[in-house]
Amino acid sequence: MMTETTINGKPFKHLYAAHCESGVTASFFRHEGVDISEPLVFGIGSGIFFGHLPFIKWVGMPLSTYRAQPGAIFRKAAKRLGGEFVSKRFRNPQEGMDELRRVLRTGQIVAIRTNVYWLPYFPRRFRNNFNGHNLIVLYEVENGFRLSDPNWDHLIDISAEDLERARFARGPLEPRGFMYYPKTIRPNPDLRTACIKGMKDTCNMMLKIPLPLFGIRGMRYLAKKIKNSPGKVGFNEACRQLAHLVRMQEEIGTGGGGFRFMYAAFLQEASDLFGGSDDLARLSREMTSIGDLWRDFAVIAVHIIKQRGQSEDNFDKASELLLTCASREEEFFKDLREVVGKLKA
Amino acid sequence: MKTNEVPQDDVPYFYETLKRACYAVNDEGKYVIVPSIGWKIEEVINGLAIDELAAKLEETRKAVLAGLKSPLAYHMERRQMNPKLLAKTADIPKFRVKRHFRPEIFRKLEPAVLDRYAKALAVTLEELKTVPE
Repeated sequence: MMTETTINGKPFKHLYAAHCESGVTASFFRHEGVDISEPLVFGIGSGIFFGHLPFIKWVGMPLSTYRAQPGAIFRKAAKRLGGEFVSKRFRNPQEGMDELRRVLRTGQIVAIRTNVYWLPYFPRRFRNNFNGHNLIVLYEVENGFRLSDPNWDHLIDISAEDLERARFARGPLEPRGFMYYPKTIRPNPDLRTACIKGMKDTCNMMLKIPLPLFGIRGMRYLAKKIKNSPGKVGFNEACRQLAHLVRMQEEIGTGGGGFRFMYAAFLQEASDLFGGSDDLARLSREMTSIGDLWRDFAVIAVHIIKQRGQSEDNFDKASELLLTCASREEEFFKDLREVVGKLKA
Repeated sequence: MKTNEVPQDDVPYFYETLKRACYAVNDEGKYVIVPSIGWKIEEVINGLAIDELAAKLEETRKAVLAGLKSPLAYHMERRQMNPKLLAKTADIPKFRVKRHFRPEIFRKLEPAVLDRYAKALAVTLEELKTVPE
């Protein structure tokens, strides 16, 4: 399977990543010769988050998110690492495809935002109308394009027709052919300053947003909601909502509280960056066990749904586990805030 | 999660060609990427959502065959769309799209309108007028 190729004589090494947006951003920086990993981009871009938005619906049910809103990781990481990017949207699909081809011909790789449903190479069961998948177009091939999709371990070809459809799908978060590529990238970014900025921002987002829907408060709100849900909407509907919540954690959340593990990986790398900081290494281990807790939450949820509440796993237990996650993460981010305050760039 | 805890459950037809990258801790305590071929828990949850969609689609298909709805409703659901999304994609006002779910109105539609639906739903004109038996 192909993972390497050349663009205008310049080698391109495909980056296999857990999350599309951080993967794409890291790929750009690596292609320009900056040695940076996906977790570093994720941490610097303040990717980790929690939010429960009952008034925004995805496939008809409330949206919960385990990471920052689409586009934020890229925007923040690019800014903090000193990369300038060109980004464009289009009214007219034809115009969008022409512009993509024009830029590709100059030897520039281009990232685009797509709708998952219309990407034919996606597993059928993951294809739904979600307009937020990022990937990189490398160059034109016969009848189509060659892609570097960070979620795959190899390069992929797609027909021009399919790509156009995926780029110009309608609906919530319309991509409208959104494409972006670097204008200038600083060759030696100041990683330490960027890390500190990223971590501080994350702590603020998790602890300080004064609304009960975001960060730690959001988790507590959701825990309460889960506890009351069987009495409120009936057991079946409560199961449905719980399943939906876990689906967002697993599918949109890159698998098994994946963002928590990625953040732990980021802290581990950051610890090395700051001369083997013990505090950061300790926090990385703590985040790993929080990630395991989120996985347990998924397991318990499935037990509840499969055994119709007959086992000892019930909604109270799921809610309690979520509260544990909340208090562990609260401790964690308070701790992190203190540690970051002492770090010197 | 340790590298040996990364789920490698054999769930056919789930990830297909995808191998999900998971960050896990190896024996030296370092984070590495481990590709996962599937997780039962995730499969169950995903299966629930897929089954629900399939059941709804089947219901609509029967309604179409019984003459209660137009095939347009079926093809919209098959593409996981709702009237609002279909209206935007085909560039036809939502209230008209909803009217076109009535078989007697759908039957009288002009080819130009059908064409727009066919394009929006990525089906041929023939497919658009029928549902699978």
